[in-house]
Amino acid sequence: MSVDQEKLIAELVEKGLSGDMDSINAIEDRVLRSKAKSALAKAKRAAKVATKIVPSEKKTLEVSIDDKQPSDNLNQKIGHMIDKKFPGSLDSELNDTHIQLKPDQWFDIAQWLKSEPSLHFDSLQCHTGMDVGDEKLEARYNFHSMTHDHYIEIRIAVPRDNAHIPSIEQIWRIGDWFERETYDMFGIFFDGHRDHRRMLLPEDWEGYPLRKDYEVQETYHGIAIPKVKEGWE
Amino acid sequence: MGVVHGEQMVLNIGPQHPSTHGVLRLKVKTDGEIISEITPVIGYLHRCFEKHCENMTYDQVIPYTDRCDYLAAMANNFGYVVAVEELMELKVPEKVDYIRVIMAEFQRIASHLLALGVYGLDIGAFTPFLFMLRDRERILDMFEMTCGARLLYNYMWVGGVSHDLPKGFVETAFQFLDYFEPQIEEYNNLLTYNKIFIERTADIGVLPPEVAISYGVSGPNLRASGVKWDLRKNAPYSIYDKFDFDVCIGDGGQGSLGDCWDRYYVRMLEVKESVKILRQALAQIPKDGDVHQAIPKKIRPPKGSIYSRTETPRGDLGFYIESDGSPIPTRVKMRSPAFTALAVLGELSEGWMMSDVISILGSLDIVLGEIDR
Repeated sequence: MSVDQEKLIAELVEKGLSGDMDSINAIEDRVLRSKAKSALAKAKRAAKVATKIVPSEKKTLEVSIDDKQPSDNLNQKIGHMIDKKFPGSLDSELNDTHIQLKPDQWFDIAQWLKSEPSLHFDSLQCHTGMDVGDEKLEARYNFHSMTHDHYIEIRIAVPRDNAHIPSIEQIWRIGDWFERETYDMFGIFFDGHRDHRRMLLPEDWEGYPLRKDYEVQETYHGIAIPKVKEGWE
Repeated sequence: MGVVHGEQMVLNIGPQHPSTHGVLRLKVKTDGEIISEITPVIGYLHRCFEKHCENMTYDQVIPYTDRCDYLAAMANNFGYVVAVEELMELKVPEKVDYIRVIMAEFQRIASHLLALGVYGLDIGAFTPFLFMLRDRERILDMFEMTCGARLLYNYMWVGGVSHDLPKGFVETAFQFLDYFEPQIEEYNNLLTYNKIFIERTADIGVLPPEVAISYGVSGPNLRASGVKWDLRKNAPYSIYDKFDFDVCIGDGGQGSLGDCWDRYYVRMLEVKESVKILRQALAQIPKDGDVHQAIPKKIRPPKGSIYSRTETPRGDLGFYIESDGSPIPTRVKMRSPAFTALAVLGELSEGWMMSDVISILGSLDIVLGEIDR
């Protein structure tokens, strides 16, 4: 790259950083334009990283090993807190293994679980569905806090023929894929999900395979689907 | 990326492409040579693992876990049996624990060697790949010596392992470690500090720790972003609390913290730590003991559910198992580490060049068998 070009690109990057993309887009020469864009992307990354990472000498999330809380009754403790903060959101008696919630206030509760400093559940470990019978489906969430090193499990039951739960995909980003998979397998709809599609199966597949009453469709695009139920125990 | 002037293009990578590490399809929207959006399309390898699990007994599930992450089958066996044992509150003999840890750590080395070698291959370095596969082969030989299989073992059973260690295994293992340790230096000379390799990986695809945690990224990918989190240390299962080893984290050695080079190098460091664990485990393993002694005649966990996690070479492998008290599980959910690692790809690649995508994808070390299940 010649010196002139480098200078020009540096100028353009500065312009781009201050929000002026037109001057880059206006370049006639393709090669030069893509060079400028790539330099700009790098500069943006670097700026982002600089603000986010450099002061992170302290911010590096050190998870202490000794500071363990007995997780036995954490479900109970946090269940109480939720009940106080969001009255009427509990769906059943508190117990040691999980917190059973109603779907209505779920988004607010989830937001609170992450933002409340004493809880700070920053990681959605696992999310899955469950066909619990009784015409009900259940969504289950396992949360973990990297800062406090504690776990809870939350369960939300919804009627099978009208399964709607607020999406938490915007709070924990992995919720995006987890919820899509649960929708794919159980047919639970996550309201407010920005990309509500099937995850593993093709978009035009019929039915939800992990429901207990699932029947495989007979053909898919004219191809017969073999049913090999014999021989299984 | 701001205003786009009519040169947007949609490019399909895969599903049949060597750089996608399996049958993965990437829908890439590009603006010139810059990535503006990337959407992974998965499911090509979906084999209904979780549905199958609802139709067979607990022990019949184990061979299926092999086929999820086929590059670290031992680690998957381990994760599953630990979950079932936790659900049953079953205690296994000390010797079994030692054997399992030894196998899991050998598997970690084997899996990392493949990951590192193939990563070099993705970027254009052919030689290190051959060196690493040569050494991985010797580990596979040891697995074959133990249980007769090279890739899909069905070795760990609920309550025990399928075979005791064969005669001479410990000696062979020590011989291998003595041979292998100096090799790490050779890999470093060949690939890690190679100028071209650093150019292609350092400062590329930087993953900030907050984003990583929000996406549930785990294992070496998370540690490369500077988060000191390893289940073997932070929530020890089996007998990992008995061993002395370090949790390796990235430090931005060649660029910024959490870049592709860091993700690569953390794996290299972890191989060294695995060697450390192996030396201790092989020295301490009890001579006597029946590895079949604690295997239950009938596996009937009590009613209830469990979410149990173990550290595989790729990160936190979680099994959520629901039991209704019968010999057949009601539900087995596998939370696979590669699934969450692939989920972050979209955000990670945005704004980088086309060629960097291959570099970023390779550094995440995904296995499609585990993602699609």
